[in-house]
Amino acid sequence: MEKVLDKKSFPQWVKKLSSYTVYAPVQEDEVWNYEVITNPEQVNLDFPNTVLSPKKIIFPQREVYLEFSASNEDGLEVKEVLPEEEPSVIFGVRPCDARALTLTDKVFGGDFEDIYYWKRRNQVALVGLACHTPPSPNCFCLSVDGSPFSKEGLDVLMSDLGSKYFVEAFSKKGEQLINPAKTLFKPPTEKDKKELDKNRTEAKKRISRQIQNIKKIPPKLKGMFDSSLWDEESMSCLRCGICTYLCPTCHCFDINDEIFSSSPLSGKRIRTWDNCQFPDFTMHSSGHNPRQGKASRLRQRIMHKFQYFVERYKNYQCTGCGRCISRCPVGIDIIEVLDKVSSYEG
Amino acid sequence: MKDNTYIPKLAKIIQIKEEVGGARPIKTFRTQFIQDNNFSFKCGQCAMLSVFGKGESMISISSTPLIKDYLQFSILKMGRVTSSLHEMQEGDIIGIRGPYGNGFPMEKWKGKNLIFIGGGIGLAPIWSVLHTALEKKEEYGDSMLIYGARTSKDIVFKQELAELRKKMKVHLSVDVEEPGWEEFIGFVPLNVLEIKPSPKNSVAVTCGPPIMIKFVIQNLKALGFEDEQIYTTVENKMKCGIGKCGRCNIGLHYVCKDGPVYSWAELKNLPQEY
Ligand SMILES: Cc1cc2nc3c(=O)[nH]c(=O)nc-3n(C[C@H](O)[C@H](O)[C@H](O)COP(=O)(O)OP(=O)(O)OC[C@H]3O[C@@H](n4cnc5c(N)ncnc54)[C@H](O)[C@@H]3O)c2cc1C
Ligand code: SF4
Ligand code: FES
Repeated sequence: MEKVLDKKSFPQWVKKLSSYTVYAPVQEDEVWNYEVITNPEQVNLDFPNTVLSPKKIIFPQREVYLEFSASNEDGLEVKEVLPEEEPSVIFGVRPCDARALTLTDKVFGGDFEDIYYWKRRNQVALVGLACHTPPSPNCFCLSVDGSPFSKEGLDVLMSDLGSKYFVEAFSKKGEQLINPAKTLFKPPTEKDKKELDKNRTEAKKRISRQIQNIKKIPPKLKGMFDSSLWDEESMSCLRCGICTYLCPTCHCFDINDEIFSSSPLSGKRIRTWDNCQFPDFTMHSSGHNPRQGKASRLRQRIMHKFQYFVERYKNYQCTGCGRCISRCPVGIDIIEVLDKVSSYEG
Repeated sequence: MKDNTYIPKLAKIIQIKEEVGGARPIKTFRTQFIQDNNFSFKCGQCAMLSVFGKGESMISISSTPLIKDYLQFSILKMGRVTSSLHEMQEGDIIGIRGPYGNGFPMEKWKGKNLIFIGGGIGLAPIWSVLHTALEKKEEYGDSMLIYGARTSKDIVFKQELAELRKKMKVHLSVDVEEPGWEEFIGFVPLNVLEIKPSPKNSVAVTCGPPIMIKFVIQNLKALGFEDEQIYTTVENKMKCGIGKCGRCNIGLHYVCKDGPVYSWAELKNLPQEY
């Protein structure tokens, strides 16, 4: 389905979606993040890269799994806590962040379906916003099979045409978003389509960063497990974990119990995002740690994304959003590291 | 939507046996599910045990799948969860989810001699496969157990080992000399060289501390075992048990799902991250 929508009518469209929980980028304390919107007039699609990707809505940083409590003198009750049934829609999803969800889908799918993830995932519709100018100077989606107007993982893609949006719906979920506001949308003219094409060609040119020879990297990494490159490149790492916490494709988590009361016992089991850049991520109780130094953890981050994931799922586990580059406090730059992998000899 | 595998099933501890005392105590627990349960597993698979309020730990199932009315776990006291398990009494309730992991490829081993080599708590995963092979004696060749611990006090399944001697060759060792010890003195890998199991039509299965496994494999190779004839288990820190939390990987393998059982032919090609 292809339509155009006047920018002025956009709040009215959002208004029509009152049966959905609506998320959109919101600016607070100078940074942007996806939050629940109560006033449709508030939705502002003129935003740079958000700090966190919409992953946080589908796979929240902290999530209760189950609750337990002592029911009688020797009994215990365990109650599954599932996400609520609430159809939701996220506006302003960047194509790279939507593609990232198609990758976390692979991890949380498979032979053990992660019910918590899928409950939310199946209820959420993703309305993308094409990036006619890169939202971050570190965008490199073109290097990792993406593009600033990729529709992968999206239900709808909106593209800016000055005074209006070009709106494409790719799925049933997407069409269901447009249907209640049908009268606001018009069929696109030939001129609209031409302008869209022109914008897209321009958009590609505006992405300045790229990884050299990406296709050669997975096989090259295979022989670099013991390389000294990891020591050199990780030297300044602070192990803060920002790179992986902000990554839209990272999915590692921890599971812990929290108790309200020990007698009688009551509490809950939660999962929280975890991070391969932390030393205790892999440390056994005995103190033995298969990943001792920072070098082994940078290696894990790079190899997981550009070798292991490729071997397992046939995709790079990176969609080029550039967050890890922009936010690393010591300037460790994944593109530079990969370029060094490419040119590494020895 | 399939079952929610993260929700443990409640089970009652029906028996606790103290195997080893002292500073590194080991206890063996038998559990029964409170509600009827179609928990079926393969030798070498593990289960995630819950102590509610403390957390979860991945533990090998040490009973044979041929026994249906209880599951057995032998547990070394380490940190939060295993210490709370050690404080529990018969009748207490824990949670169990699983089974997880690939298990031993016993089908492939039919007709072969099985050489089990364990150290310390590493006898737990071996115990399940060893007893299953014993019960199905006609399907396998000769079996043998080579097992060692730090001192005679650290040997697990003492009474059962005495029984086992009636059914297969059992070679025990302790790491350092002690009064009254009549069998081998020295590390398990050295005992392997002493006993010289024949690689002919054999499979060797070794579980124990990483350092022991490393030298056992080295010595098995010296005795002429091929990489494909050697199997071991890998222990990495685990949380989810199903290849999602991203913690236990060795290269592209998630040990919780693709392991913990590996042949040396497979493992030697993976990065050494265990
Ligand atoms: C496949 C497999 C089979 C195992 N089988 C047995 C067994 O039969 N008997 C036995 O005594 N022990 C076994 N272990 C080790 C056992 O899981 C750990 O000793 C235990 O999880 C430590 O938890 P804790 O809470 O007592 O310690 P803490 O240090 O308080 O651990 C906190 C958490 O970290 C994780 N963790 C820490 N160390 C390990 C580790 N070495 N392996 C896995 N997870 C860890 C657990 O999730 C644990 O809940 C096995 C481990 C694996 C991976
Ligand atoms: S953001 Fe930078 S400093 Fe922090 S863990 Fe990642 S690489 Fe290291
Ligand atoms: S324990 Fe979570 S991936 Fe293996």
